[in-house]
Amino acid sequence: MYKYILEGAGNINWMAIFALVTFFLIFSISAITVFRQKKSFIQKMAHLPLEDNLSNNDIE
Amino acid sequence: MSNNIEKFSYDNAIVRNFAYATAFWGLVGTLVGLLAALQLVLPEFNLGFAETTFGRIRPLHTNAAIFAFVGNGIFMGVYYSLQRLLKARMFSDALSKIHFWGWQSIILAAALTLPLGITSSHEYAELEWPIDLAIAAIWVVFGINMIGTILKRREQHLYVAIWFYIATWITVTVLHIGNNLELPVSLWKSYPVFAGVQDALVQWWYGHNAVAFFLTTPYLGLMYYFLPKAANRPVYSYRLSIIHFWGLIFIYIWAGPHHLLYTSLPDWAQSLGTAFSIMLIAPSWGGMLNGLLTLRGAWDRVRTDPILKFMVVAVTAYGMATLEGPLLSIKSINAISHYTDWTVGHVHVGTLGWNGMLTFGILYWLIPKIFKTKLWSQKWANAHFWIATLGILFYVIPLYWAGWTQSLMWKEFLPEGILKYGNFLDTVTQILPMYALRAAGGALYVVGVIMMCINIIKTVQSGELEPNEAAEAPPLAAVATKGNGGYWHRWIEKRPVQMYVAATIAILIGGLVEIFPMLMVEDNVPKIAAVQPYTPLELQGRDLYIREGCVSCHSQMIRPFRSETSRYGEYSKSGEFIYDRPFLWGSKRTGPDLHRVGDKYSHSWHYNHMYEPQAISPGSIMPPYPWLTENILDTTYTAAKIRTLQALGTPYPDGYAEIANDELMKQAKEIADNLSKDRKNLLGMGSVDEELERREIIALIAYLQRLGTDIKPKPQAEVE
Repeated sequence: MYKYILEGAGNINWMAIFALVTFFLIFSISAITVFRQKKSFIQKMAHLPLEDNLSNNDIE
Repeated sequence: MSNNIEKFSYDNAIVRNFAYATAFWGLVGTLVGLLAALQLVLPEFNLGFAETTFGRIRPLHTNAAIFAFVGNGIFMGVYYSLQRLLKARMFSDALSKIHFWGWQSIILAAALTLPLGITSSHEYAELEWPIDLAIAAIWVVFGINMIGTILKRREQHLYVAIWFYIATWITVTVLHIGNNLELPVSLWKSYPVFAGVQDALVQWWYGHNAVAFFLTTPYLGLMYYFLPKAANRPVYSYRLSIIHFWGLIFIYIWAGPHHLLYTSLPDWAQSLGTAFSIMLIAPSWGGMLNGLLTLRGAWDRVRTDPILKFMVVAVTAYGMATLEGPLLSIKSINAISHYTDWTVGHVHVGTLGWNGMLTFGILYWLIPKIFKTKLWSQKWANAHFWIATLGILFYVIPLYWAGWTQSLMWKEFLPEGILKYGNFLDTVTQILPMYALRAAGGALYVVGVIMMCINIIKTVQSGELEPNEAAEAPPLAAVATKGNGGYWHRWIEKRPVQMYVAATIAILIGGLVEIFPMLMVEDNVPKIAAVQPYTPLELQGRDLYIREGCVSCHSQMIRPFRSETSRYGEYSKSGEFIYDRPFLWGSKRTGPDLHRVGDKYSHSWHYNHMYEPQAISPGSIMPPYPWLTENILDTTYTAAKIRTLQALGTPYPDGYAEIANDELMKQAKEIADNLSKDRKNLLGMGSVDEELERREIIALIAYLQRLGTDIKPKPQAEVE
């Protein structure tokens, strides 16, 4: 099975690998960083749509 | 906290304008859709005018639904939410007004030019070059207004909805430019820079991402703002929304080639499209679950609040469409679904379900808010919800059924090894009851939109617009010096310019990797010596084929399946399309494929079939085109067309443009003479037979007879 896929890939193997690696990196970095953010900051961001007035910038 | 509180106001007048336009164009777009649906059941609904024939009505419907209805819906939601999320009035009221009136003028121009047959034939990018330029200008106005507002904001961090707006703006800019690179022939005619396979790849890179970045990402931004608003609780997981954003915008752009599976597109590009389409399930479902889980603890309100009902169905439809899309991108499933009504059903889950229902929910929430009143009738809104939901079901289920039925019939062989339904028409008449049900579903949906419009009018009458809603917030400078956080995402949220750059890089990687090798590597489109440029008459005929929107119902791409080669002939090769500007592969077979129709029938067969299809194929739902036998072919631009194509690389000999019309007349005379021999059998002959060689039908016949004949075996003497 894999043999046929690789045969059909010709000289563009690098593209598939490049795409996979890039996606993996973007996904991992964004996942790691968002989970390392402070809970208070996440809370503040999540509540932004509910505040039409008086920005709550001070909750940092 | 700073004591230095600034007073300002939100511009509600521009929100109201876009809201009115959304409701109005929603009604127009669905009504035109209903007309198109009826035309497929009863050809009489083509009304006998060229301007109201299905091939021209279909792009009018798709453009009205996407750019007029959803487009205004985007702007309505963005102008409302952006101001409040940034604690700032829009950057410039003048730009807001230019944006509004400019966009409505473009819609009006589309509504006039598409029925007139002025089209580039690129799906969802049909508008001709002057309108393309106007779209670019107005889109830039919108961009400046948005960036300006972001720069003068009072809220330090950009909420995730705004990232979706930013990604939308950047990507639509790139897509619009990329897919509309064309060289004008005249004020209302142009030829695309790319030809054949390359044009197809660029078009579906655009077409797919028009769905992604016009119908999806801006609406996800609206979901992340208006769903928490309507539910009065924050989004379920803000963290998940960030991953949703980066995952989605990075992956979406790669998936375009899934529209071209089993076509002449190189295999590697097809595989790329499939792989990334499957990967799309993850961020899409992450977003859907995030939306639905926002309602945790509030599900009791969904039973009574019509706004939440609309939003729940919208988000569910988003989930369904984004699961179905990747499944349709698997080659073995695509082999069944492609060219059938399954695709049409699929896209309507998205537009009617996701875009439509979310827009209705937002309108019902927003109109009473800016008019400082209550919704005129909750009952009517609830009734609208149920009618619209039933309408969607009645629309899509029959189309799924029709798609499967037709595809299975196309592929069924008798034990003797011949097609069981060799006559394509058998596979059409079989699904007509499903088309009738679909029209009924569409009619239900339209009734719902009418009820909504009445509800909105009554609500507006009972309240008064607050054009400038007072607000207050501390200035950004007062808080900008606070802690820097340290993580890259908090860093980037505070820096919109860097955000633009990062988002641009994310969407460009996919686009470039996909398209560049196609454009740069000659080997991707092997040349075939026998394939020659179109003659002037064939070229004019091809432009008539484009004008009439034949591509809406007829493909020109025979896939390498036994069921297709048995029915249509040799499968299509990429080298056959190198002079096709634009490519006309199509995406739906309401009628049969036409790539090898050349030399299959006589000239008189084509003449009669175009004049009155039912006379030749009883039961056919193809509209009649009698005007083609009456109109005199406009040859004013023949030379200009040849010159434009020469400039794009089509190898016509030097000086050919000057003799093009002579060549055209010579070929037209041959066809007309041939037809004249069969004069007594030609339908509608009478006053129009005097200048037969000058009629439009002659050019169309020349083109149809040329189709697919380049690589048909010829006597040795004719081969160079």
